Amino acid sequence: MNFKKVMIVYRKELMEVLRDKRTLFMILLLPVILYPVLIIGFNAVMSRQTGVLEEQGATIAIQDSVNTAVSARLLEELSKIEHFTLIPAAENAQSLYESKDIQSIITLRDSVSADGLISYHVYVQYDGTNDRSELTFTKIRDALVASEKAMVEEELQLSGINPEIMNLVDVRRLNTADSQKMMGKVLGMILPYIMIIMLLSGASVVAADLVAGEKERKTLETLLVAGVDRRDIVIGKYLTIITLGMINLIVNLFSISFSMQYMLSQAGLDLAGAGMPIKAIFILLAAMLPLATLFSAILLSISTFSRNMKEARTYEQPLLMVSMILAMISFLPAIEMNNLLALIPIINIALLFKAVMLNDYQLSHLLLTILSTVVLDVIAIWATIKLFNTEGILFRSEDDGSSIKSIKKGVSKSKKVFFTPYNGMIYFVLALLLLFYLGSYLQGRDLGSGLLMTQIFVILLPVLLILKIFKFPIKETLRLKAPKLKEVLLVPFIAIPATILVALAAQLINTIFPFPAEYLKNLGKLFELDMPLWRSFLIIAIAPGICEELLFRGLMPRFFEKYGIKVNIVLTALLFAAFHLDPFRFLPVFFLGMLLGYLTLRSGSIFNSMISHAINNSLALIIVAFAGSSWLNVFVSGQDDLRYWLAAPAILILAAALYMFHKITGGKECVES
Amino acid sequence: MISVHNLVKAFPQKDGNAFYAVNDVSFNADDGEIVCLLGVNGAGKTTTMRVLSTVFKPTSGTAEIQGWDIRTHPQEVRNNLGFLTGDTGLYNRLRVHEFIRYFGRLYSMQDADITHSMNEMAELLDMKDFMDKKIEFLSTGMKQKVSIVRSIIHDPPVMIFDEPTAGLDILTARNIISFIRSCKERGKCVLFSTHIMREAERLADRIVMIHKGRILAEGSLEALREETSQTDLDDIFVYYVNQYSEDTKVEAHEF
Repeated sequence: MNFKKVMIVYRKELMEVLRDKRTLFMILLLPVILYPVLIIGFNAVMSRQTGVLEEQGATIAIQDSVNTAVSARLLEELSKIEHFTLIPAAENAQSLYESKDIQSIITLRDSVSADGLISYHVYVQYDGTNDRSELTFTKIRDALVASEKAMVEEELQLSGINPEIMNLVDVRRLNTADSQKMMGKVLGMILPYIMIIMLLSGASVVAADLVAGEKERKTLETLLVAGVDRRDIVIGKYLTIITLGMINLIVNLFSISFSMQYMLSQAGLDLAGAGMPIKAIFILLAAMLPLATLFSAILLSISTFSRNMKEARTYEQPLLMVSMILAMISFLPAIEMNNLLALIPIINIALLFKAVMLNDYQLSHLLLTILSTVVLDVIAIWATIKLFNTEGILFRSEDDGSSIKSIKKGVSKSKKVFFTPYNGMIYFVLALLLLFYLGSYLQGRDLGSGLLMTQIFVILLPVLLILKIFKFPIKETLRLKAPKLKEVLLVPFIAIPATILVALAAQLINTIFPFPAEYLKNLGKLFELDMPLWRSFLIIAIAPGICEELLFRGLMPRFFEKYGIKVNIVLTALLFAAFHLDPFRFLPVFFLGMLLGYLTLRSGSIFNSMISHAINNSLALIIVAFAGSSWLNVFVSGQDDLRYWLAAPAILILAAALYMFHKITGGKECVES
Repeated sequence: MISVHNLVKAFPQKDGNAFYAVNDVSFNADDGEIVCLLGVNGAGKTTTMRVLSTVFKPTSGTAEIQGWDIRTHPQEVRNNLGFLTGDTGLYNRLRVHEFIRYFGRLYSMQDADITHSMNEMAELLDMKDFMDKKIEFLSTGMKQKVSIVRSIIHDPPVMIFDEPTAGLDILTARNIISFIRSCKERGKCVLFSTHIMREAERLADRIVMIHKGRILAEGSLEALREETSQTDLDDIFVYYVNQYSEDTKVEAHEF
């Protein structure tokens, strides 16, 4: 890397961007104007409206069906409320209420308890969605409670009891959180969300311009033939996005905190001197910096991939939406930072931000957050440099060669046209949507039968339908070919140790980064279904073994054949893992997916992976079903934790079995694809 | 000086087959010589030039620019190369002198040297009045001049022009033509591409005809005339294209 060249590119990009009025407006001016106008304006309108409501008063119809001295006194207290008019309830009171001529109807009734005590019931009719009506109710209740208290005190005094008995317990707040911390709590909820979204939208304005913009203005080629390495260009542009993203962030941060402070002090809260502590600001910026670098890298790769700025802005939308959803975590109460969450981008920053605002964060979380983001960063920037060196992508706007189509061979035409990676991704997304909507509906009605129906109708049926519609031979396409006996015999020796190893790995991860208790509870439900063992076996082991395999080892690999067998296995395993919609089990499922993909693609028979899949799922079932039995205790400790010594034999058996499997399978598929 | 050896550039296509934009192309261009890459649209001219200027990597074969291999020494190749196209894609928000200085710096030039040769060029091309203007306010002719200075600021021994007059009006095109001539006078090696026969006729010392990624013929205008017994370059070109079609038909039969 030539640092001098990087800086030349960086300085030029910065100068160019800062001369763009649109960008300047978005990054500097908008935040400075937006928050004060929004917050202060909102505040002013709010307090004005409350005043108006106060003075609006209310007309209330009274129906006193008790008519005693007590009820008269209660009504008298009500009539003392400012701006309130009381009228006796007539026949038409209800219609008056509905036409909003009166705001409330009060009905007084009484009852006599077994020991002769009279108690009064006041029914206050009001509309909970209407602010004016709500306020009326509050005033009525306060007045009634006050007069009740006065009357009880009088009664006590008459009976010769000190009315002070009423104040037997006096609860007082001694809030140790000072105004600083209270402000931190408020800001800690709102700020992370706003900051993350602002950072992303600010950086995206710049990023789209930097590469996609150059493509659009046809300046990219000029830059590429200049005396500078592509990596230096990428890094120069990358630094530009980070810089402007951070500038945008700092401006936002100050603008928001000043406006918030103004609002809180206007609201009459005792916040004299409460503001954003300088230390917190620096920690926050330190925490946001890695996120800025990550966003910048992703945005730059989107910009590089896009043909023009419009396309870049379109591709940025999913990133924005995912970030918004993840950033919302700061609004959720009771979610606190832990080591696992510190590894998830955006969520970690949002929670850390919140913790810093409360001055209640751990250094280890800060470091984990920064570290995990930096790792993602390096991957993203590496990918961008790769993209920048990929001619097909950098010059996607040109139609080099595509204007002249070479003649395709007629026989395999339809097959090739249908089984493309693009169609594969579309199929996957549709299947995922079906799973999400139909699957969760089915399972919501009844978990057991829902799971089975999901397997059949959501996963299996579409595969068969699509092959039927496009007239592909089902048996051949899905590799429904009888396996060799030797292969089948080896499969258990692969499946069982593999299951054990993956479970041990998951266990290990769990001890370092504990899964949320709620999550484990939900997962456990699956195994606690109240049904005979053969039915659980059918739902949990057999059905997925058949249906999921036909989708992920049968149909999906056909879409990615052009990449060769290895990439195909990895890609379908990734999709398989993603299909489980479970971030905590992503890695284990991914590894199992690779193994299953290998078994099928290597041997050419899907039955191998079906058996393996079924064995894997039944093992989990067995451990839960027979938990506590003495024979199982040799392998399992506690509830369902496998013993770690199992890893040694598992590795040995797996290695040996895989070696033999590899030898007896000819790898015909490699040649074929 | 440019020497191209069996250069091949293939692009993968959606159907999995490769498209050969440049297929086994070899030719040379010496210092002080203007060589024209002549061919219809889609013949592979731009791809060839992009490979030579290290924008694309060759699929096989190679080329040398001033003795530097495009595969192993791309940075040296770029430093010895000036590249100009008909597209006047410039950074609109920069001022002219900033823009030129930016590229000079990317070519690792000292600021004093940049200033010196920039002033010289500004004088030569009559650009003094708009050196401080922002590029977005310039006319097409002015922009083309800026592009010229940008391509030659580092005084490269080899110049490559990809359809340099495409889309330009006659006056601006003339500026380019005279600039190409001046490059030759200064002893530079010039390679330019065009599909306009007249331009090739007027400028080129030698013509390399390219069609469907392959070289049809190569030589001075006189030599080509002699070989084909045609006088007009249009006719010469059509002659070779027809010959090529005959050849490929025969090839197809042999299969």
